[in-house]
Formats: sequence, C-alpha cells, structure tokens
Amino acid sequence: MERLERSFYSKASMYSFVVVLILFFLLWIATGQFSKMKWASSGYIISSFIFFIGITVRICAWLIRPATHQVMKRSLKNLRKKSRKKRNVRAMLKTAVDNIILQKFIFKRGWYRGLQHFFIAWGCLLSLAITFGLVFNWFYFDLVDPQTYQIIVLSIPTITMHPDGFLAFISYNALNFSSIMLLVGLIMAISRRINNHDTKVTQRAEFDLFPLYLLLAVTVSGLLLTLSYKFLGGFMHSPMALVHQATVVIFLVYFPFGKLFHLPIRPMATSVPMNYWEEEGADTRPCKKCGDTYSNDDQIADVKEILGQQAFDLQMEDGTYLSDYCPACRRRIRVMTHLNMDAPIQGAGEPVMTNNGIHMPGFGRERDESFYNKKETEES
Amino acid sequence: MSEFIVKKDVKNLHHEGEKLISTHCCYCGMQCGMHIRVNEKTGAIAGVEPRYDWPVTLGKMCPKGVTAYQTIDHEERITKPLIKKDGQFVEASWEEALDLIEKNYKRLQADYGKDALSVFGGVSMTNEKCYLVGKYARVGLGTRFVDYNGRFCMSSAAGGFMKTLGTDRGSTLPWPELEHTDCFFMSGTNTAECHPTTIQWLWKARDKGAKMIVADPRETPTARIADVHLDLKAGTDSALANGMMHLLIREGYVDHEYVSERCNNYEDLKKSVEPFTPAYTAEITGVSEEKILKAAHIYGQSPRSVVMFARGVEQQAKGVDNVTLYTSMALLRGQIGKFAAGVATFTGQGNGQGGREHGQKSDALPGYRKIDNPEHVKYVSSVWGIEPEEMPKAGVSAYEMFDEIQRGNIRSMHVICSNPAVSAPNNEYIWDGFNKLDFMVVSDFFLSETAEFADVVLPVTSWAEDEGTTTNLEGRVIRIRKVKDPIGESQPDWEIINRITERMGKKEHFGYENVQQIFDEFRLATKGGKADYYGITYDRIDNEEGVFWPCPSEDHPGTPTMFKEKFDTPDGKANLPSVPWHEPDEVPTDEYPVTLTTGRVVFHYLSGTQTRRISFLNEKCPEPFVEMHPEMASQYNLSDGDEVKLTTKRSSMKLDVKLTKAIRSDHVFVPYHWGKELSVNLLTNPALDPTSRMPEFKVCAVKIEKV
Amino acid sequence: MNKVMYLEFERCIGCRACQAACRECGDHDGKERNYVEYVDFMESRQTYPMMCMQCTDPACARVCPANAIQITEEGVVLSAMEEKCIGCRNCTFGCPFGIPKFDFEENKMYKCDMCYDRTQHDISPMCASVCPSDAIRFIDFEEMQELRRRRTQLNLVEGKKPTEQDKWQYVPEFFGVYSD
Repeated sequence: MERLERSFYSKASMYSFVVVLILFFLLWIATGQFSKMKWASSGYIISSFIFFIGITVRICAWLIRPATHQVMKRSLKNLRKKSRKKRNVRAMLKTAVDNIILQKFIFKRGWYRGLQHFFIAWGCLLSLAITFGLVFNWFYFDLVDPQTYQIIVLSIPTITMHPDGFLAFISYNALNFSSIMLLVGLIMAISRRINNHDTKVTQRAEFDLFPLYLLLAVTVSGLLLTLSYKFLGGFMHSPMALVHQATVVIFLVYFPFGKLFHLPIRPMATSVPMNYWEEEGADTRPCKKCGDTYSNDDQIADVKEILGQQAFDLQMEDGTYLSDYCPACRRRIRVMTHLNMDAPIQGAGEPVMTNNGIHMPGFGRERDESFYNKKETEES
Repeated sequence: MSEFIVKKDVKNLHHEGEKLISTHCCYCGMQCGMHIRVNEKTGAIAGVEPRYDWPVTLGKMCPKGVTAYQTIDHEERITKPLIKKDGQFVEASWEEALDLIEKNYKRLQADYGKDALSVFGGVSMTNEKCYLVGKYARVGLGTRFVDYNGRFCMSSAAGGFMKTLGTDRGSTLPWPELEHTDCFFMSGTNTAECHPTTIQWLWKARDKGAKMIVADPRETPTARIADVHLDLKAGTDSALANGMMHLLIREGYVDHEYVSERCNNYEDLKKSVEPFTPAYTAEITGVSEEKILKAAHIYGQSPRSVVMFARGVEQQAKGVDNVTLYTSMALLRGQIGKFAAGVATFTGQGNGQGGREHGQKSDALPGYRKIDNPEHVKYVSSVWGIEPEEMPKAGVSAYEMFDEIQRGNIRSMHVICSNPAVSAPNNEYIWDGFNKLDFMVVSDFFLSETAEFADVVLPVTSWAEDEGTTTNLEGRVIRIRKVKDPIGESQPDWEIINRITERMGKKEHFGYENVQQIFDEFRLATKGGKADYYGITYDRIDNEEGVFWPCPSEDHPGTPTMFKEKFDTPDGKANLPSVPWHEPDEVPTDEYPVTLTTGRVVFHYLSGTQTRRISFLNEKCPEPFVEMHPEMASQYNLSDGDEVKLTTKRSSMKLDVKLTKAIRSDHVFVPYHWGKELSVNLLTNPALDPTSRMPEFKVCAVKIEKV
Repeated sequence: MNKVMYLEFERCIGCRACQAACRECGDHDGKERNYVEYVDFMESRQTYPMMCMQCTDPACARVCPANAIQITEEGVVLSAMEEKCIGCRNCTFGCPFGIPKFDFEENKMYKCDMCYDRTQHDISPMCASVCPSDAIRFIDFEEMQELRRRRTQLNLVEGKKPTEQDKWQYVPEFFGVYSD
C-alpha cells in the first residue's frame, strides 16, 4: 500500500485515480463493453468524471486539516471498538434519520427554511442519482415486448412492468418529480434571499446566490425539455437539450468547489454523538474552577491536541489549559487578567474596592491623596 | 419638516424598504433620542436605530430604551374598550363605554355633588395631555379632586426648589455642560441604573479629573465609581447636608460675595448648622467622620460643582427640607446660575418636568400658576373660557385622595396614565379604596394592576401613536413624533377627553381636532407664568434641538441656564433654610429592627406595566428580591436565594434573598416594579411630607423572618 | 477602515443595554452574542462587558472540523456557516475567551460579528452605539492611541507614579481590532 501511495504525487491523486478506475469499470459493464455508449451525452459523462474527481480531491484536502483529521481519527478508533458498537450504531442511525433524512435541525430554524431545504436537498439528491444512473448507463429501460418494460441495472435485467402502469409512470417521471421539488425549494430560497434583509448581512453573491441560480437554470431547462416533447411536440427540443446539457455540466463541475460541498461532509455530524456524547444531551466534564459541567473529556483532549498541533499556546502558569475551564470562567479569567485582579483581595465587611480611579484597572487602587489637595495649593 | 432629523455627516443604517422617524424614548426623564424603524409599505414597527446626534444622549440608550419600541405592537395591548360585567371584562364599543361613563358621572354628580368625581393623572405623557388632564377635571367634570402620580415622584423636588429658588426647574444647567464640571455631589440617586445615559457625561468629566461624591445606603453602580461613597442611613439626608454645610462654613469654603448678594437668611442657616459637627453628623448618618471631612474638602475646593439628587432624597417625609438643604450646599458655594455648575434633580418620569408644571397638581394651574391666587385663576379662566368663580378650589394630594374615598367624598375616579395600585405606598389601603369606589374608569394601553379594579377600561394610544411635546430633565422641551397609526380602536387621551366632555355638555371648551390646537392653547395658558412656554413652537424644537423654558416669546432664545441674574423669588434672592434634625417617621425598633429602602433596577420602569411585558427585560429581572449584607444574613441564618418574610406595621410579603456586601449591614433593599403580592409598596410607609405631600417610600422599619 | 473596539471593563454599569441592542442587529436573529457578567456580586457590583476579539488567527476557526468559521476581508470572524456546522461545539471549547455561543435546538454556533451590516459601512456596532457609560467604544485606531497616552498622563497628574515593574497596570487594555 505504501509503495502504491509513493508512486503518486499525493493521497488525493491516488484516490482520484482509483475513483476514475472504478467509474470506468462500471461504465464498461453497464454499456456492454462500451457498445451501448450514448455519445451524444458525452458532455454529461466527462463532467461527471470531473465531479467525482473534484469531490475526491476536496474531501482529501479537507481531511488533512488538523481539526478534521483529529475528529476522523477518533471516529475511526471508536468505530473499531467492540464495546462501543451499540453506541456507534445508534449514533449513525440517529444522525442519518434526524440530521440527514428528516433534517430536523433546519426545521427548528423555522418551518419555511426547513421545507425549503428539504425540497432542495432531496430534489438534488434524487436528480443526481438518476442523472448518474442514466449517464453511466447504470440502469435503463428496455422494451421486452409491446406490453412490457424492463429495468436493466448494470446490464442485469430486473423487474418488468406494464408501460401504462403506476410503477412505470413513477419511474419514467422520477426526474420530473425531483425537479419540481427542486423548483419549489429554489423559489422559496430565492424569495427568502430577496425579502429577508437579515440574509443580506453576510451573504456573498458568488457563494450563496450563484448555486441557487445555477440550480434554477438546470431545473427550468430540464422541465422545459419535458414540456417540449410531451406537450409541444418537440418544439425547440434540440436547442433546449443543448442548454440543459450546458447547465448540468457547469453544475457538476461547480459542485465540489462551492457551497454545495456541504452535502458530502454532512455525514461527519455522526461523530458528534458517536465521540462526544458520554450521556445524551448532557455534559460530563466539570470546569476546573467553578465545577459546572461544560464538556466531556474526549472532546477537550481533542481540542487541546488540535490547538497544540497548530502551535496555539493556551497553557496557563499553573499548567492548566484554558480549555479546562468553562466558557464563563474563561471570560472571567480574561477580565481579571486585564484588570490585574488575578487574586482579588477580599474585603472583610466592605465591598471590594473597585473604584481604582478610572485611569487604570485593578481592585483597591485609589487615587493618591495628594490629588485631592492639589486645588488647595493651586488656589492659595 | 421631515420626520427624520439628522445632522450632516452623521451616518445611520437605513434598511431597504424602511424609514426612520426621529423621536424620544417613552420612559424616564432623560428622554433619550432615538429613531424608530418603520416598514414603508406596511407601516409596521421594525426596530430602533440610535440617534447619534441628539445632543443630550448622543445615541446612547439603556436596555429599556433599546426595547421601548416593542411595547407599541405588543400582543397584550388593549385594543377595544372593556366593561366589567360580573367581575369579568368584556369587550365593548366606544359608544357603550361612553354611555356608561356618562350615565354614572351624571348620576354621581347629581347625588353627591360635583366633587364626587376625581381624576388621577400621570406624567408619562406629553405636555399637551398633562395640560388637558387638569382642564378636564376642572372644566370638563367641574371637580376639585385632581392630582397625579408626580406626588410619588418629584413633588418634593418641586416644593424644595420653589421654596429656595422660586422656580422649580429640575436642572439649572443643560446636561452637556456636565462634562466641564469639577465635582459631582450626588445624593439618593442611583444614576447608573435609573438614568443610565447620564453616566457618559460623568465619565467625560471624570476623564478630565472631576471627582464624585455619592451618598447612598447602598454601594450602587454609581457609588462604586465615586471618590467618596457616603454610605449614610436612609432618611438622614438632612443631617448629612447640614453637616456638609457646617464644614463648608468652618473650612471657609463659602462664597461670601455670592451669598450676601443673592441669598437671604445666611445667618440663620449658619446658626442652624452649628450643631452638625462631623462627630454629630457621623453619629446620625452612620458615615465615618473622615469620609465626611474628605467629601467636604473635595466639594469645597472644587471651582465648578453640581449637586444632584433624586428620589432617595425626595421620597421622605422631610423631602422638601432635604431638597432645600442640598440646594443650599450649591448656593453656599455660589454655584447656581453659572457655567457647568448648579443643582439638578433627576426627573423620574418621562415628562415629570413638563407634567408637573401644567395644572395636574391639586393646587396648580398651567405655567406653575397657583389655584389660590385670584390673579392666576382669572388668567387661566380667561384662556379656558370660564368664569373665575367656576374654577374649583384646590383639591388634595394623590395619597390623600384615597382618604377622601374612605370618607365617601370621592365616589368615582378616572385614572389616566398611572398605576397607583403598584406605585402608591401602603398598597392594601389603595386597593381597598378602589374597591369602595362606585365607579372607576382607567385609561391605559396595557391592563395594569390598577385597570383590573376598573369598571371601564379605555384603550389609549402608546407614545409612538400620537404626537406632542415633552420636557426632559434639563427643562428642554422636545418633540415626540407619531410613528404609526393607533392599534385597534385605541385613541389618544385627548380624543377620549373630547368625547367624555362632549357628553358632559362641555363641548365648547374642548372639541380639539388635533394636537397642534391643544399645544397652542397650552402655550397661551402658560404665557406669563413661571414655566412660560409661549415662545416654543414645533418648528423651533426641530430646528434648535429642543427649547429650554422659560421662553416667553418666539424670538426669545430659551433659558438653558437658570437664575443667571436673579432667582424667581419675590425679592430675587434665594431663601436659605434652617432645618433642625428630625428622625424619619419610622425608626428601627425592637420589633421591627431593620431599615427597608426601595428603589429601581435598570431593567424596569416605575410600576413595570410596560417593562415587565418586554421579554428581554423580564428575562433579566423577572421578580423582586431583597438585597442584604451577608453580615445581616448570618444573624438570621440566611444564605443566598433563601426565602424570607418581610413585615412592617402595614403588611408582609415573601421574597428571595440576594447577598452582597455592597449595602449597609443594617439596611435591606427591595425594588418596587411588581404588583400584587410582589409589590414592596405593601410595606412602605405613607407618612407624608408636610409641604409636598410626598410619601416616605425610602425609609421604613421592617422585621425579617426566615421562611 | 481603521477602527477598534475599545473596552473599559470598569466603566461598565451592568445595564445590559449592549445585550438588548445586540438582539436588534441585522442577522442576529434576536439572540445576543455578547456578555455582561458580575465579577462577583457578593463582593461588588462590578460587571464587565465581553465580546469577541476578532482574532486574526482565531482558535475557534482552527478547531472547527467542518471549516465552518470564516473571516471576512475586513478581519471580522463570522458565526459558523450554518450549512457546514456539524454542531460539535469545538469552537466554544477552543476559544481562549469563551465567546462562541451554541444553540442546541437549531444546531448552530453564533457569535459576535461586530454588527457586520453596520461596521462594513463604518457605522458603529449596536453595542458600542448604545453603551451609556462608554465602556464599549468603536473608535479610530489613532483615537485609541491618544486615549492611552492621555490616561498615562492623567495618572501622573493624579499622583500615581508607575514604576518600571508595574507600568502596565496603568494602561487600559483595548482590543477587537477591526482593521489590518
């Protein structure tokens, strides 16, 4: 393995190479040794290759970051532990259902945003799946006899169905359904971006708006194609097909490098319940100062490790680290240091003297007596 | 004139589709400038934007100010008249409500005479409305019983200033001058919590070396930054002031030229402060001798000083005496009428200054005229279009109105913009009074604790739904703008007064069509009075960043600094007082061994009717507490958060303990912004000041028991 | 733009206007991002305001496994990007000053962005705009330098004589640089 790795410039290029190989292999099977290649859709094929290479490279680059690396390291370690098996499975299931399939946390930010994201996310995922399937010929429909359609998956014949049946209607129009979902979600998202001023504060057009409009172009041109051959007798079909292909190509090439890249990294959310929830929803590690729980041991160890790797020296004089304290105590430590009040003198019955003469910070530093008598000498 | 006033080069954030409307905060006397953000299409309130160029506050706001706009469209606003049927409020039409009011008012006046009705006003509303309340009672209803919640707020300051200086204007100097002051002597004022936006001026002065002396039983956030904190016992202000003046005289800090030219009774004063040696003062006040000496030296040596005080000094049975004494401290140093020097009280309510000048008081008429002065009555009668004989005689003060209820003289009350069920002392007596009334009307925009006693509740507009003027704590007359149309069926107070007086057959004296009409009549009514607003117009206010009264004519520049040449007393000289030491009405005894004092927290305003409904403010301070020194706590075996029962001669209540060393160990403190069983005014002492009729909220004797 | 946030803790009067104002700011979603806390209420009423220092190399961004914390070209460290944040809370533990807040319900981190919609137009952030005691200020870098010099001079006027050992105790702190 190491020798294999050394024959590449980097891990990223190695993985990309492997991914390309696999894709070719699948394509080879699916198209009956390239005999059924649809050359007209070669734009789709090329951009899909770029898509997969891009995703691979980006994920590799992302895993190299110390913070990501540390989390993945702990996740892999925990995954291997037999004793944590139950917890791991539960964490994965919970994340998959709550976080990825239902996207509950986005609905908590408002039903509008939840619905909008749900439509876009599932519209996108379905469309992508169907597109790749068709492009690589991983599945297609075959007419067995005039009354029977058959779905062929990777050149293996599977289920058959009646061409006017419900199943056929669903599978034939799947892409249309997904694009209508997308369209609704996109319109919701774009109108939110237009009407809600708050979104404009940190919004960047090229980052937040471009993907929306790009997706809109893909969706609309795709739906127009359907419209054209179903209802308009193929009117403007071939120029539309070209436009659609162009938008899809741009979309696929853009995907790994823009905002949409958050999709492939979302599964890492599993690591949170898997690694850091000693008890569900509760903290277990007490603060060194006030004793309130604020985190868990593993996570603080990870944070220290990540900071250490990046040469953040957050160790205090007594050997503790700032991350050993809860956020509130860390704030207090900072203020005390600024006020030179690391160890405030406790007044017995009186309140602690915090009037320090405004001009410098610190407990108990009063104005010099001579200051008050100054005017007297000046006046006399 | 544009609704958005901004100076050149001042940048504000304008959101797309929104406009800004310049106005002022609805709460305390600082009247901080602000712009309200309004959606251009829908007219809905969108938020607040700082008004960086308002000269008094420079865009600063306290948390109440920042969230003030949230009261306007609040979900608990009353939007329709409410009539109580079988103990339950039901929504009614305006006609039904007015019919009921007319029927009852006419019946009561026929049965018991004109004075059976009464009006209880408030000063958290515009000058126009405050002026109308007095006219409404005297002309519209023809009753002599009218008074207002300023009796619980600033009437002692008014009385003291009147006595000493001849005119009561809260501050003799404009606020921005504070920056140039050398010394602040502040007593009974927790400025940092009650008038937070003043603090910037104090810091500006301190940055130049100014000193601060703060007298307060607690080490408040204000006292914390003082050079000398005089931690006096509550109710001993007159001794402290006498002691300070003793030292001013002994140490030769008196400005003899000023005193002999501009003050009367100096020799009498000298004699009366003679006994107040530092030792004697220390004995009474509980402040150490050295602190008193240090404070006297600092104060005496400062070339420009301001004496400031607030409710801590005024809400006592000898509030007027305290005010005269503290004012005399400034007089002895020759400070009043000069640059960056003088005397000031922090007006508690939004329009406490303007509201108390214009005839809501039982014995006062607009422009600080007096109802027992035939000349004054004649003038105001001519403005109001009535015969002088028709003018009712003086009534009684706010708390004493409840005595009249108990005696059966007052049978009905119309409470406008006030919540005495929380804010009056000895709450149970007040509640009993409300229950005894035959008929009670309340105008408010939230269902306050007082409104719950009413037979009819009339929905009024909030501050942002009507225009007008207010007078801030400096005496600067400023403009409140209408930001949006009234919610639901609510109406401005002046419109309600129009409609009630119409039914009482007084339409020719009222029938106002807009606020400008009222303002013009009100200017005329104040013309020639001490508080002369005649020269002030809306346009001048906009162009000149507010106008200081007195301003007798339109070409008069207004009067930022008072008493430059002479005082407003008949002989033009200030009257120095001679006040011997009197104990507070209640002193600690074996049975009630602890002194209870009350006050505000920064998150709430007065009776809390508005602020308790704002989520941010309520989150930060949801309920009252009792602040206690750990030394006292250990005597009762209490720790932080324990529940205690406080009992005075009047009533008792239960509260949680909050421990801090920043309070005298023989005092406890409770904030007063809550109603019903959480109201500390269940406990407070209604002993009244002989002149101002101000109850002694700040001192009473209390018993503590662990629950 | 060359402005700094200038904090003087001891000026704080604990009114929490900055927090109320923070909720008013665009994109703050009605949640305050700053803190006002008592040093120790038993001992004193001293409070202090606390907000993000907008580090040039922020630890919070460094410990984020999702690379969700971005820095604008002006140097403002933004809240975690909602689409990337996986809700691990590493940022709240990594920050040496305890600044980032975390919303468990909505699964996102939020923090002070110096009212980005205001400061990018050179308008003072809401907290500094309203702070009644000037404990929080948004001022020019030069003004800050001048303030520090004047402070040092006033100390001398007031009879306090810093020595070589403790001179730093006589200079107030500033931070939150909004410039480069």
